[in-house]
Amino acid sequence: MTSAAPTWDPVTLEIFRNLFYSVAEEMGVTLCHTSFSPNIKERRDYSCALFDGSARMVAQGEHMPVHLGSMPLSVEAAIEHVQMQPGDVVAVNDPFCGGTHLPDITLVQPVYLGDQSEPVFYVANRAHHSDVGGMTPGSMPLSRSIYQEGIRIPPVKLVRGGEVVDDVMALILANVRTPTEREGDLTAQIASNRTGERRLLAMVEKYGVETVTAYMGHLQSYAERMTREAIRLIPDGTYRFEDCMDDDGQGNGPLPIVVTLVVDGDAACIDFTGTSEQVPGSINAVYAITLSAVMYCFRVIVPFPIPSNHGTIRPLQIVAPEGTLVNALPPAAVAGGNVETSQRIVDVVLGALAQAMPGKIPAASYGTMSNLTAGGTDHRTGEDFAYYETIAGGMGARPTADGLDATHCHMTNSLNTPIEALEHSYPFRVRRYAVSRGTGGAGRFRGGDGIDRDIELLCPAQITILSDRRTHGPYGLEGGEAGKPGRNLLTKPDGSERELPGKASVWVEAGTVISIRTPGGGGYGSPVESA
Amino acid sequence: MTPKVVGIDTGGTFTDFVLLDEGGKLRVHKVLSTPDNPAKAVLAGLRHLLNGAAADIVHGSTVATNALLERKGAKAALVTTAGFEDVLEIGRQTRAAIYDLNVEKPPPLIPRERRIGVAERVGPQGEVLRELSDESIRTTVDALRALGVDSVAICLLHSYANPKHEDALLGAIESELDAFVTSSYQVLPEFREYERSSTTVVNAYVGPVMARYLSQLGDEVTSGRVRIMQSNGGIMSLEAAQRLAVQTILSGPAGGAVGGFALGQRAGFDNVITFDMGGTSTDVCLCAGELSRTSETVIGDVPIRVPVIDIHTVGAGGGSIAYRDPGGSLRVGPRSAGAAPGPICYGQGGTELTVTDANLFLGRLSPEHFLGGERQLEVKPISDAIASFAAQMNLSMTDAAEGIVRVANATMERAMRVISLERGHDPRDFTLVCFGGAGAMHAADLARNLGITRIMVPRAAGLLSALGMLLADVVRDYSRTLLVRAADLDDERLDRAFGELETRANTEYENEGIAAGQLLLERSLDVRYVGQGHELSVPMSADFETSFHDIHHRRFGYADPKRPTEVVNVRVRAVARTDQPPMPEHELQAADASAATLGECAIVFDGDERESLLIDRSKLQPGNAFSGPALVVEYSTTTVVPPDFHCRVDAGENLILERLS
Repeated sequence: MTSAAPTWDPVTLEIFRNLFYSVAEEMGVTLCHTSFSPNIKERRDYSCALFDGSARMVAQGEHMPVHLGSMPLSVEAAIEHVQMQPGDVVAVNDPFCGGTHLPDITLVQPVYLGDQSEPVFYVANRAHHSDVGGMTPGSMPLSRSIYQEGIRIPPVKLVRGGEVVDDVMALILANVRTPTEREGDLTAQIASNRTGERRLLAMVEKYGVETVTAYMGHLQSYAERMTREAIRLIPDGTYRFEDCMDDDGQGNGPLPIVVTLVVDGDAACIDFTGTSEQVPGSINAVYAITLSAVMYCFRVIVPFPIPSNHGTIRPLQIVAPEGTLVNALPPAAVAGGNVETSQRIVDVVLGALAQAMPGKIPAASYGTMSNLTAGGTDHRTGEDFAYYETIAGGMGARPTADGLDATHCHMTNSLNTPIEALEHSYPFRVRRYAVSRGTGGAGRFRGGDGIDRDIELLCPAQITILSDRRTHGPYGLEGGEAGKPGRNLLTKPDGSERELPGKASVWVEAGTVISIRTPGGGGYGSPVESA
Repeated sequence: MTPKVVGIDTGGTFTDFVLLDEGGKLRVHKVLSTPDNPAKAVLAGLRHLLNGAAADIVHGSTVATNALLERKGAKAALVTTAGFEDVLEIGRQTRAAIYDLNVEKPPPLIPRERRIGVAERVGPQGEVLRELSDESIRTTVDALRALGVDSVAICLLHSYANPKHEDALLGAIESELDAFVTSSYQVLPEFREYERSSTTVVNAYVGPVMARYLSQLGDEVTSGRVRIMQSNGGIMSLEAAQRLAVQTILSGPAGGAVGGFALGQRAGFDNVITFDMGGTSTDVCLCAGELSRTSETVIGDVPIRVPVIDIHTVGAGGGSIAYRDPGGSLRVGPRSAGAAPGPICYGQGGTELTVTDANLFLGRLSPEHFLGGERQLEVKPISDAIASFAAQMNLSMTDAAEGIVRVANATMERAMRVISLERGHDPRDFTLVCFGGAGAMHAADLARNLGITRIMVPRAAGLLSALGMLLADVVRDYSRTLLVRAADLDDERLDRAFGELETRANTEYENEGIAAGQLLLERSLDVRYVGQGHELSVPMSADFETSFHDIHHRRFGYADPKRPTEVVNVRVRAVARTDQPPMPEHELQAADASAATLGECAIVFDGDERESLLIDRSKLQPGNAFSGPALVVEYSTTTVVPPDFHCRVDAGENLILERLS
């Protein structure tokens, strides 16, 4: 076990846990309250975190699980590729160099003490922007390569010595559909990092840099101990589980995702050998996403709240063969890997854990974020718009309780956009928003029901849907039935209806209604027993 | 001559009374609460205090709060736009705990079979897209009748922009059914359908329960006016409270914050953080020259969007339980030993170590003087418990006990950082006003950690909520969503929007016997940059946009005057000042506090046991002063004065602790 300093006391440890966490949370408040993308301000699709001088995560706010393991890779990429100076902020979204998918732009800021030449800490935040260019509005396209997905930003300085680098900002803004909104969001992200920097420096002034640094290490070791303790309770052995993605939107599928979990004492190896090769469609996941999904699965089996930090990853060895769906190489299309494939990685890892620790792990949840994007020119204002939203579904039934209806699960927890806010900001009319009754799988405990959301477009628009679990429903456990797969429907102004595939991009005329029916969760236990 | 006034605060254990008589003298009284029928304790206390004499009453009631928390409200129905019956159930589609696979979501207050969709539709500009037909109204009324409900909430999409359909349904249902009926336009005419529905539904759910309680109280108390404390820090008439019970959900804590702030002001401190530490939780509230308010409250997982005093609550109190987690960290709370079995030292069967036990072990509580000696605290079992806990933690006994206190403080410090630093205030500019049983034991350590240099422990700190009710004005908040760019808003349109709210205010107050001339009308706006999702409250002025940029800069560290702004809501706060009771001001005596000194006691500070003064607060005179270390004991609270603090008694009999630099 690694430890930053030989001694720690359990009281100071708890105090620093509170301090680091509150800094990350405060960064999140700044970002959420001042940003412009509905994705950030209403849906809370962002994360803020603190890192030690070696880019190891110390604390993350209670934000997006899908950013858990991937944020540190952004910080590492910034360090590796950019010679940072005091007052600099590095922006990155390149999935093949520290990012996840292009809409997630991460800003990394080094924190210096006095006139020291090396940073002592880093702060970073990541936010999902509602458009970063590419082939369809909302930048969640049915693409065939990264080059179709939007502007790709390798680690570059967006702020130099405290001043925004206008050239870089201009280059970014020239490549997106809603530049005013983008600039506002990036400004909010810069402010969020400054908040983090200010609080960390105040902490150093009060406690001294040695103590602050030492307790960053102690808290990582603490999270590691907690995780090892949880793994120790899993019987040693080898557990295998397989599930699939329906397809890649380019005619390929089903696509298996396979995991072999080997538990040995207080450590575990998670091996994805056997998983589908990377595909032409946009559901490839880069390694950062796989790392996040695995970290999430091990985080939820620890029965105590622990800080989200580097310690959780130490007992875990991840094998993700290059060139597969779970470790895609350039120039793969990756827009959906973060939101779709990440959920399936969780499904298979939890599926393997369910064999290892029966009675502890729930059946599969809805397993797709049912990403809906729309773009066009708002007939009311003449301005271009880009809209993006994810729609929740049914939670998998638990060993002792029904799954929750209409609730976001696992890798996301983003809010819906209020209908009244939506209709005010976009040329949409919501026709129906309801729990999709009866879609949860039957069982001793019932899977949660999905959601029906019907939206009428009031002007012509490009609609893109990136969804999965439209043919293969979320699995049940211990005899519970699978949840019902979701559906996507298009109703023309003349009333004619047609089914859209799970991944679809269509140009629609005004008056068209798009209906998304999200999947229910799997059931738990044989339904007969409950009768 | 002003009549007698009684402030009554119904708490979980005690119902507190503060009587202000004609001559301005205060009398206090406490009765055990009667949770099954809270009116019993209220009426018993009133009989004791008034003995049949007439008095006005200001009451902080937990009836609505408990009905919500215990889910014992009315059988209610929701009438909403067809196709959106599940908005109340879906909420914001999130889960409360991200990393908990067993996370639960409480069912909505109104189940699916009692949520009725009506064929109608209004658009975002208030335009009617689908007319509400007489037939739809009739079908709705019939359906409600068939359900046999006691209460009805009406919330239609975009009704804040045009209440026509809600009004029509309200009129029809009220005339046809014997039920409590409430519409979202009356309760909260603001956009965001889930939060508006939720607030309206809470009103429908708790309204009949509250109305029943208040009418019983009104029947029994005939000799004076009865007014009710609201969550926004103001009081309202009995009739208004029956219609808008949702406004009383946080009336108890609001009374404390009002009292703390008012007493702080009278002592000369305009910037105050109130700090109320009880058995299971701690409430903090920041007042920078005024009571801060928020419209974003969640009670028992249910969002409530009416303006309330911005009180932040954390699960750390005297009864919070300490334990070691598997990673070796010392944790405190949020589990609490509560009142039963209580801390180990109560000797009522408690076996788990609490913050109160640690305080007693460290000498920060005097076993002989707890509750005036009515309850003996047991020291012996605590030593044993601390010894085994310390061994488990691999710490000395003293370090373990101090550790429990420090970890509890860290939780409370986090709450204080949220209300100060996170909202753009520097805690060093504030005085900590503490009350509740345990506040004054922890205040000095907390203050030191936050750089706060002054603490005030008011007289009768244990009855501050009831006292606060006597110090509150009559306040009502009115609002309406506009959602218009500032550039498109001319003065006339704004004036009209404010005018509508002010007309409503004048009418409602007049009906309660308060003339328009007595009303203070404060106009404010909720403003954001076009495209943002979060608004900041800005006082109305010709140049409100400049104020918005300033406030945005202070709060978030930047502003962009080139960006267009948008007015989301207009607000009017209508205030009718009440006669403020005079508080006694005494002449200052000499500094010598020896007449109040009971002797010496030993208190542990930073690992060292220090001989400390033991002082009886009831014998202290204004002007008395002494330096720490000292322990000041009184009936319902104990004040710890550490070695780096000085303590004096001011003219209002408050303890003022100041940190020695």
